[in-house]
Amino acid sequence: MPRIAGVDIPDRKKILFSLQYVHGIGPKVAADILSRTGIDPDRRANELTDDEVTNIASLIDDELVVEGALRRQVAQSIQRLREINCWRGDRHKKGLPVRGQSSKTNARTRKGKKKTVAGKKAVGK
Amino acid sequence: MSRSLKKGPHVDYKLYLKVEKQEAAGENKPIKTWARACTIVPEFIGRTFQVHNGRSFIDVYVTEDMVGHKLGEFSHTRTFRGHTNKKEGLKAR
Repeated sequence: MPRIAGVDIPDRKKILFSLQYVHGIGPKVAADILSRTGIDPDRRANELTDDEVTNIASLIDDELVVEGALRRQVAQSIQRLREINCWRGDRHKKGLPVRGQSSKTNARTRKGKKKTVAGKKAVGK
Repeated sequence: MSRSLKKGPHVDYKLYLKVEKQEAAGENKPIKTWARACTIVPEFIGRTFQVHNGRSFIDVYVTEDMVGHKLGEFSHTRTFRGHTNKKEGLKAR
């Protein structure tokens, strides 16, 4: 069972897809890694030799920010926005969409599950 | 879409001149401005701007982290006073 970038253990899938189980590696980056290390993307993850796994791992270590480090980076950027009191930071604090989307209706991803407000209809009429 | 690099950041020319003038005079007085679209450049650090939000001027003290943002990002234009409560109605504030 190959082990890449810390705890991630993708297995019987094609290496192109099992790489994407690492946080921070998507289709594009996975394909890039394989072409640069010269590994056939159609091979299964458990068919790789130790050498090939080491190659992939060192390439990720050297050039990419993945997993915990990436999560930390994202959290820090958001924290920065929150601290300087800018508009985007404020939206993060309020749990509302940050990039100018409408929030009168929808925006449920950010706002979470609907909170029913008692008597709201009567107020509208 | 992001701004063309060729042009460099948009910095309000008159505002920049004012900052330079204060710098030369060794002053640090708040500067009133309407230039919300003006990018904050390193020269602005440690100064206070009074940025118009359409109604009044909001004090913005520029710190290092704010470089690269626009002045308007720190001067909110909308006031949200909370939703109405059925029992109390609109809370007076």
